[in-house]
Amino acid sequence: MRLPAFAVYFLCLFSLVASDVFAQSTYTISGYVRGTGGEDALIGATVSVPELSTGAVTDARGFYTLQLPEGSHTLQATYIGYESATRTIEVTDQNLTINFALLPANSQLREVVIEANSLQQKLNASQMSVETLTTREAKLLPALFGEVDLIKTLQLKPGVQSGGEGASGLYVRGGGPDQNLVLLDDAVVYNASHLFGFFSVFNPDAVESVELYKGGFPAQFGGRLSSVVDVKMREGNKERIGVTGGIGLIASRLTVDGPIVKDKSSFVLSGRRTYFDVFTRQINRIQEGKEDFNRIPDYYFYDLNGKANYKLGEKDELFLSGYFGRDFFGFNDADFQFRFDWGNKVGALRWQHKFNPRFQVNTTLSGSSYKYNVSNKIDVFSFNLSSDIRDLALKTDFSLILDKGHTLQFGAMATRHDFTIGRLNFDSDDDRISFGAGNDYKAMEAAAYVADDFQVSSQLSLNYGVRLSAFNSGGKTYSALEPRASARYSLSERTSLKASYASMMQYIHLVANSGASLPTDIWYPSNDYVKPQRSQQVAAGISHLLGGGRYLITNELYYKWMHRQIDFRDGANLFVNDNLEEEFLFGKGESYGKEVYLEKIKGRTTGWLGYTLSWSYRQFDDINDGRRFPTRYDRRHDVSLVVLHELSKRINLTGAFVYGTGNAYSLPVARFAFQDVHGKGATVVPVYSDRNSFRLAAFHRLDLGLVLKLKPKRGEADLTFNAYNAYNRRNPYFVYFEQVKDEDDNETLGFRAKQVSLFPVIPSVTYNFKF
Amino acid sequence: MKTSFTIYTLLLPLLFLLTSCDLEQEVEVKLPPYKSQLVVECYLEPDKSLRAVVLESVSYFNDPELPLVPDAEVFITHNGKTIKLPFSPIQNKETGKYYTHRKNEKLNLKPGDVVTLEVKDKKGRHVTGTTTIMNQVPIEAVEWKFNEKNKAYLLTSYQDDPDAENFYRYMVHRDSLSNSSQRDFVSSDRLTNGQRVSYGSGYDYEQGDTLVVSLFHIEQQYYDFLSSISDARSANGNPFAQPSRIVSSVKGGIGIFTNLSYNRKTVVIEK
Repeated sequence: MRLPAFAVYFLCLFSLVASDVFAQSTYTISGYVRGTGGEDALIGATVSVPELSTGAVTDARGFYTLQLPEGSHTLQATYIGYESATRTIEVTDQNLTINFALLPANSQLREVVIEANSLQQKLNASQMSVETLTTREAKLLPALFGEVDLIKTLQLKPGVQSGGEGASGLYVRGGGPDQNLVLLDDAVVYNASHLFGFFSVFNPDAVESVELYKGGFPAQFGGRLSSVVDVKMREGNKERIGVTGGIGLIASRLTVDGPIVKDKSSFVLSGRRTYFDVFTRQINRIQEGKEDFNRIPDYYFYDLNGKANYKLGEKDELFLSGYFGRDFFGFNDADFQFRFDWGNKVGALRWQHKFNPRFQVNTTLSGSSYKYNVSNKIDVFSFNLSSDIRDLALKTDFSLILDKGHTLQFGAMATRHDFTIGRLNFDSDDDRISFGAGNDYKAMEAAAYVADDFQVSSQLSLNYGVRLSAFNSGGKTYSALEPRASARYSLSERTSLKASYASMMQYIHLVANSGASLPTDIWYPSNDYVKPQRSQQVAAGISHLLGGGRYLITNELYYKWMHRQIDFRDGANLFVNDNLEEEFLFGKGESYGKEVYLEKIKGRTTGWLGYTLSWSYRQFDDINDGRRFPTRYDRRHDVSLVVLHELSKRINLTGAFVYGTGNAYSLPVARFAFQDVHGKGATVVPVYSDRNSFRLAAFHRLDLGLVLKLKPKRGEADLTFNAYNAYNRRNPYFVYFEQVKDEDDNETLGFRAKQVSLFPVIPSVTYNFKF
Repeated sequence: MKTSFTIYTLLLPLLFLLTSCDLEQEVEVKLPPYKSQLVVECYLEPDKSLRAVVLESVSYFNDPELPLVPDAEVFITHNGKTIKLPFSPIQNKETGKYYTHRKNEKLNLKPGDVVTLEVKDKKGRHVTGTTTIMNQVPIEAVEWKFNEKNKAYLLTSYQDDPDAENFYRYMVHRDSLSNSSQRDFVSSDRLTNGQRVSYGSGYDYEQGDTLVVSLFHIEQQYYDFLSSISDARSANGNPFAQPSRIVSSVKGGIGIFTNLSYNRKTVVIEK
């Protein structure tokens, strides 16, 4: 434990800046930018002082801060889709709080124009490798079954890949889906997908925005190697009750928001449920009794999101966020009752306190759990298997703006984890059969961090910090220092160079070897035998504004080393195993690549073009004879083109095209005949050789969308038409080999390869309303 | 207990329900050049003559013919005595079972005996294997119970030895062993060490069924081999499965050399 070094660093940093805290030469102007009625915080709104050519952009809470000298200044707040607002202020001898409430530009749905952070702001930030997406953007883009999904939209960004067609897992810069820290209002979400990962758990109506960090991680984040997915739920309207909803092909959504105490407190409550079970039950009823009829199992999922905030005073505000979701799968027969359900429960209470406009603290108490349960009852026999993880976490984050260009972020967190792994009961009613298995583990995870965002000059800004993390489970303690640094150097007003380094630790591991996001994937703590994973990533890039600032092109290179990567023995039993750690294998990984991103966020035609060239490998002594192999999602070329066009005030057209090198895949190279001890003749056994040595055919797809705004008597409404996979490409989902047999005498004639695709062209229509 | 992917096979129909049917197509896959390996299957049984199958593994898309290796020589060594099994292929027309090498000689095998196998051919391929003769584990009871629909489930019980790590293979055949097994799985005593273990079944049986119930006490190498066969098979065609290599009990090739020590009971299901 290298605590002394850390402590010294901490102290040095403080003594370096402490003298500056009170030597104030300028004044801080800060406040919120919201929509009228104090509804949602406007993220990425610009507050500028034109005469000083300075400005700031609001953060995820709609909050901005500016440093201004004494005198009279004009503040201008702008946000696309809203009328600009201007205020003249006198800065004399104190800090000021100036809030803006912007009027929507027209009475149509606000999902008008795409707008994330302004391009200039992106160019100037020292943070690199971050992608921001708002629900407003995501809602315009075509989606599978018309179900808008922010996580899946993130897959359209360079450096981010999906786990398979339609899946919501994220593979960020060659990392695994287990290496993403998914946060919902600062609380960890352990399994962010429904139904094989075809849908993420985030209901778009309840979400304001998502930020995805691919590298250059800020010091306040830790615990996973490859990415941070920071999801912020939206806040309710503080003035009046509003209802938003949508009716889609497979699911419907309803959201209610409004004030609890006018101007002080508001709430938002959002629910969503699928309804294929309603149809499948009907089909079952109609087909009942027919020969060769196989009952279709029941499946549905639902989720509920809620958020409430309460303004205690000028300086204090409380936020309570919650998520509850369940997937349910059932298959019942006269003497067979199978039930499989899974889901997350997440809750967070955040207290925001502002000591003054320059110094604020957010303290969050959160809980999170994920559980799956499989039960089966066949007459007198009952079988039950479940696993879960339960977290209780407390964290506090300080933000202190100092003079001479320093902004300090520091804080600490502690999480208590409880794990139940593979809890199995198998019994018969007459007690003739009874056995159980399973393990419980407890763990503590803690971290402290400090980082300084330092505007050295108008050309150079630095962000450097360190995170000290520690983990204890089963009497074993690990700790590590995770240094983080990033820098931005402006070559000109239009061009900046960026570089970053981040070291990350991961103390809990996902037990999964399927490559898909399955509900039975379960988390497992580091212990004596399973050591924490570690990664280091360096990235460098250049950003350049083109076309008079209308386009931003970013080119980033990255290299990531991953140590103590986890995989599992061939044939590992991950479900019922009291000695699960014996199935673990440890190895290393590396990934590297280049991401080019061109975006345009203003005008009637907006969108982006992303290209990724990448490599991703793992090496394990006990897999592939110790030779390095590509990961399944090692994708040499990946292209995504997203175009949104506002045809008229009422019609928006959207299109998204993706192309990717085929997934690396393992196929048998040979076969042999196996007779076994009894039985009739031989059967075929496939022989696999090198891991992931084949490539599936390239993946490409075009999705089209049209948003037609309606003119209802009350409120707003639109119809969203989507065509997923518009030119009906048969993209490979997997390939298998089959035996071709003569229909008459069952004689084997030969062998052939078959490719299975998942989704043909899927048209859908969704009705959205708001009043 | 391998509960693993049965869960997902139940979910799969749901997945395909979402899609139309025309989503499978034949594709061309170019396989790399493959060097055939010897594949050996040899099971020793007390009081049975010595028989083995020696074939080759072949590139997946080769023609479907039995790849015999006539020049392969098979030797079995027990108690210092080596017996050569000559190449003499035979197939039973009725059961379809075949052997490539055999010798009408029986070994006096006792639990704990070590027997070795050696296979050589003229290409210089050399396969070796070792097996330790297992003792029998008696089936203590085969019971059944009817439900109101006149279907019965079967319960087979035995006592596990707490002082050893044990592996089992359980098989149920209807009427005769030459039929395909009606149930077949391998199991270890990891979760049931030292217990009286009972294997249940579904309501699969009716009055008058004749069932041959076998409990094999098997070596770990046989357990690993059978598990890997089953994993490799399920990996072909399951997008969620990790491909599995065959864990052979023999060195220098693919295959299994083990002994069969089993307890067998034949029951007729009666009310």
